[in-house]
Amino acid sequence: MSSDSVSNLMKGHMESLAAEGKRADGRGVLEFRNVKIETGMINTAEGSSMVHLGKTKVLCGIKLLIGTPYGDSPGSGTMTTSTELAPLADQSFDPGPPREASIELARVVDRGIRESRMIDFDALCIEHGERVWMVYIDLHILDNGGNLFDCCTLAAAAALSNAKIPNVQHGIAEEDVDLPVTCWPISCTFGKLGDTVILDPTSDEEAVMSARLTVAHDEDGNLRAAQKGMNGAFTDAEVREAVKIARKSDNVLREALKGI
Amino acid sequence: MSEESKNNKNSENSKGFVLPGDLLDSKSKPGKGIFRKDGQVYSSVVGYSNDRSGYVNVNAIKGRYNPKVGDKIVAVCAETGPSVWRMNIGSAFNSTLHHSESGWKVPFGDTARFLAIGDTVWAEVFMVDAGGSHQISLKKDDCRKLYSGTVVQVEPTAVPRVIGKQGSMITAIREKTNTRIQIGQNGFIWIDGKGEDISKAQKAIETIDREASSEGLTKKIEKLLEK
Amino acid sequence: MAGQTDMELIKDGVRLDGRKPDELREVKITAGVLDNADGSCYLEWGNNKIYAGVFGPMECHPRHKQKADRAIVQARYTMAPFSVNDRKRPGIDRRSTEISYIVSQAFEKVVMVEEFPKASIRVDMQVVEAHAGTRCAAMTAASVALADAGIPMRDMIPACASGKVNDIVVLDLNKEEDNYGQADLPLAIIPSTGEVVLLQLDGHLTPDQFEEAMDLATSGCMDLYKIMRDALDKSYGGKK
Repeated sequence: MSSDSVSNLMKGHMESLAAEGKRADGRGVLEFRNVKIETGMINTAEGSSMVHLGKTKVLCGIKLLIGTPYGDSPGSGTMTTSTELAPLADQSFDPGPPREASIELARVVDRGIRESRMIDFDALCIEHGERVWMVYIDLHILDNGGNLFDCCTLAAAAALSNAKIPNVQHGIAEEDVDLPVTCWPISCTFGKLGDTVILDPTSDEEAVMSARLTVAHDEDGNLRAAQKGMNGAFTDAEVREAVKIARKSDNVLREALKGI
Repeated sequence: MSEESKNNKNSENSKGFVLPGDLLDSKSKPGKGIFRKDGQVYSSVVGYSNDRSGYVNVNAIKGRYNPKVGDKIVAVCAETGPSVWRMNIGSAFNSTLHHSESGWKVPFGDTARFLAIGDTVWAEVFMVDAGGSHQISLKKDDCRKLYSGTVVQVEPTAVPRVIGKQGSMITAIREKTNTRIQIGQNGFIWIDGKGEDISKAQKAIETIDREASSEGLTKKIEKLLEK
Repeated sequence: MAGQTDMELIKDGVRLDGRKPDELREVKITAGVLDNADGSCYLEWGNNKIYAGVFGPMECHPRHKQKADRAIVQARYTMAPFSVNDRKRPGIDRRSTEISYIVSQAFEKVVMVEEFPKASIRVDMQVVEAHAGTRCAAMTAASVALADAGIPMRDMIPACASGKVNDIVVLDLNKEEDNYGQADLPLAIIPSTGEVVLLQLDGHLTPDQFEEAMDLATSGCMDLYKIMRDALDKSYGGKK
């Protein structure tokens, strides 16, 4: 059902189920859907991954190009994250310039990766002040089954962990080396459904929930990024509780990432 | 044009599975899912052909709902106008519910008080015109606004399987889950009952939708309902 | 098309990738791979990787494009930034716009648009890895996605290119042949009638070579058509 005419009955039903700790797809309120991660399938990219989170499917490609560093960090590489909400992923994804939702998504995923210092930018320097590696993270959403935030963060992390610096092709060195990755940021996204906080919303749940909260932790359990979205609200207690839950719940995604 | 392509007329296989452009070997009158050319009948969709009661049809595997007069459907209000409501029924365009077909006395401009955006009804398609626009009515039989339960969506082409032979499948689901279920021809299905019972019925129905063309489905659903 | 012939792209009837002049690269097609789209297809053609998704028939947006007596097909071809070695900037460029436009028109010939006045059928083709021949691969994937969506059509449309390298007419150019060869002719046909719904040419062909290139591309389309049919049979033809 398109989100502009979702049945109010569905909203009421999901809210009362959630109040009993259950979801329409049989999950508990704080459970992630099934995750499947594959890597290395795109030959033209330096790193790539395909992540399935429930029905949501995101393809990520990493490109490394040579460029000039920023003036204020002459010895560091750079990183740019972009998301494409491909029209085939959702009837409401119109072709055209990126909408606010797409930009918010790209920036939140970018912050999670950047603030956790996942990429060792200093190791991406080729010639101080002159040439550095620029990392491009391009997330291509293929199927929107809900919770693009966590699926994209996971896809970006998986693709980066599988990426190689194309030294040979660019005549920089004798062999390609792995992109230096220092840690694994994982994000957890919550929704407010009635008075209950749920983890990893489906697209049906997103259509009826009132607020969204994404938090990203590194593997030491420290917070690296957070974003509250949509026009509803969480209580102060709910936010603190969600952060505590995310610290434990992200294990499921962490294990999936380690397993590739 | 090569000789090969001139003679390349694919036709149905032994199971009656056809693809768009396949020739249907039949003398019956053309029904749905077909097109006519040079006196022959061809399939226009991916599906299974059948030849019954003098008509040859192709039952499509998938496709958006195409409203037919007399169909009972579940509809969701998408927009309110001064004297009509525009209703999402899962077809190419929204349907119109005119205030005179609602069974309520609606003062001009006051429609949202009776049916607001997101409200759900059990209705009947009562008009489809040549240009493709259609209207629904709440005045027939047990048509009414729905106040509880939830709505589940399946492919309209899966509806016959959800109903089952002579209603056997849907009866089994209703009984085993103790729920009220009304199946819209548009693939929108209303389920009402206790929270977990609704979930159980929903799971069974979604399984049928996902695996509509596989064998052993009846047994699988029976097992699911026993849990 | 650089047209340089000092690069040896074909020697003793064998191409750089080991194929004979009339051989198609390996094509794999799966129908029904996405949950949201009404119809979808994933296609691999050599190293090309394409996703196609279809929504519709649905209300036409923007409204001014709507036609009173029939549906329109709004096809869109895009390449992911990481689909080519030199990263492509996100967004639509002139090449993509042209391809989207001619593909839309080709589909309007076979889709039974007269059954859905004022509606739109949205076709989205996403190239996630590109190795020459992407417009043909995208169109082929879109045909399967349209069939998968249950959109009524008179036939599916396979698309395949032929070309010329080192003065020899060949089928289905790979990346080197596309970059250094002498001609590139993408073709799309309606298999049941042989009608041509998409044709482009870039390069140099004598009249005889043109005839040969047409024959070769047409036979490539027919071989492709069989693979398309098998993919749908595999997904849906199992039982009754």
